[in-house]
Amino acid sequence: MSLAALPLARADDNAVFEAGLRVAVVALLTLVAALVLDWPPLVPASLGLLGGLYGVQLAVDDASLDSGAALFAAGALVTAELAYWSLEERERVRAESGEGFRRLAFAALLAIVALVVAGLLLGVVDRVGAGGLAVDLVGTAAAAAAILAIVAAARRRETGP
Amino acid sequence: MRRSRSPRLAGYGALAAIGFVAALALRRPELAIVAAPFALVLAAGTALARDPGIEVEFTLRTDRTVELADVEAELVVRTDRAVDRLELFLDLPNGTEVLDGADALAVRLRAGEERVVPLRLRAVRWGLYDVGDVEARARDPLRLVVWERRFARAQTLKAYPRLDWLSRTVPPVETQAHTGSEVARVKGDGIEYADIRDYVPGDRVRAINWRASARRGDLVVNERHPERNTDVVLFVDSFTDVRGDGRSTLDDAVRATATLASRYLERRDRVGLIAFGGILRWLRPGMGLWQRVMLIETLLETGVQPTYTWREVSSIPAQILPPKALVFAITPLVDSRFVSAIEDLRGRGFDLVVLEVDPVGFVEPGRSEIAGLAYRLWLLERETLRARLEGLGVGVARWRDDVPLEAALEEVRTYRRNARLARV
Repeated sequence: MSLAALPLARADDNAVFEAGLRVAVVALLTLVAALVLDWPPLVPASLGLLGGLYGVQLAVDDASLDSGAALFAAGALVTAELAYWSLEERERVRAESGEGFRRLAFAALLAIVALVVAGLLLGVVDRVGAGGLAVDLVGTAAAAAAILAIVAAARRRETGP
Repeated sequence: MRRSRSPRLAGYGALAAIGFVAALALRRPELAIVAAPFALVLAAGTALARDPGIEVEFTLRTDRTVELADVEAELVVRTDRAVDRLELFLDLPNGTEVLDGADALAVRLRAGEERVVPLRLRAVRWGLYDVGDVEARARDPLRLVVWERRFARAQTLKAYPRLDWLSRTVPPVETQAHTGSEVARVKGDGIEYADIRDYVPGDRVRAINWRASARRGDLVVNERHPERNTDVVLFVDSFTDVRGDGRSTLDDAVRATATLASRYLERRDRVGLIAFGGILRWLRPGMGLWQRVMLIETLLETGVQPTYTWREVSSIPAQILPPKALVFAITPLVDSRFVSAIEDLRGRGFDLVVLEVDPVGFVEPGRSEIAGLAYRLWLLERETLRARLEGLGVGVARWRDDVPLEAALEEVRTYRRNARLARV
């Protein structure tokens, strides 16, 4: 909910706020459904809805660079981590003592790293401030390359006994 | 090890891709910044993920146990690389369980570490179990990639049936020639006093009953009953198994058979076994500890094999059913083929006892009137069958849930005692 609060707080118009609230509620319900039904694909769907809400809000406002993006990025990553962790814990596995704290500390560390990385990127974008077709093309190429790299890494298989 | 993706990898990939595309479409760099940590985690996770090289060994401390008794076991886990979370799933067959709780556990291992995980197992039912198949699942620190491998190194665990308490057995009508614990009906050298008779040349002096001789004015000697062993054949019905509420008639029958076998073997009797059903199994009568082990291990293989073929007693080898043997039929009295075999054995003159493992407790009467009527008819049929067997001179002991085996066998002892009196 706190993740949804960031875009909702930016809404000036009541109608936009209500629409945003509805999307946030749907996202929350989707996340709950993912955890209750043990269906992991609903986790990115839920976060995608919140991300979409944030993106649409930014587009509607047409404001300058939002410094809250770093917080939103860290929040989204931690939410996703906790949701997947919760799904993993559905199996009755007897873990060693202290694993819960370790995992929690790891999630906190990830949040800090995400915050730092997103903050750095915000700073870079703010400094560069460039625009135009060339930047768009470079951005498209970078995004496509990143997506292809992710897909290639995900599809890699190792054979073994 | 088999490498596969975790749901996290697909989810983060989708979020990163959507973020990048949306950033371009909406011309908002914030969305790319939101997607960047996901892409970073993906890049780091997939780049650092390596096959951990896990080896798992399962060892049972013993390969024989008694049902419901604890069995010590251990899992030895080795890894070449550090594993943040290694989940081990012990694939136990039905009838066995881990005593400490879950049959799955998670450990964290450093590179090159060997960990010994002690386990306590229990067999809740007698039988032969292949235990030791372990499914290992390792995850990298970012939980993006999963390595799985099944270590199929099962060991056989023999869970012997637990024995019921039994102080006395059912004595046979006739004994055999060897020394044992059963007081024979015939007279001869023994301990139990039988009668006195006139002295005849050749009688031992120590057999003379001096007090009786003084009263009679002539020498009389004591006669005694010798202690002999008996041949007992345990005839187990494996045609049918009536199950319900976590129990079954075959389970109870095997426990009763093991109890009877142990008790008779303790008395130095020769005990044999015939499992009469879809598969015919037998063990020649013998005595001693080894026979007990053989007998119980033969019992462990007993199971119901569905068959529609008619089996006859003539298919049993003659040496398995020695003359004068007491045949102990252990049956729920459900399959007509086994009932027919009992009648056939009785017709051949065998001393026969039936221990009926009562299936009535496993069967719920139906709710409808017709079902209730059918249930009552079934009970009546069973009563008729019992009466028919008793009419043939076969003692029938009903072993119900609430009756200990000792008490059930007392019914037969009483029946046989009265039957002998009637014959005299």
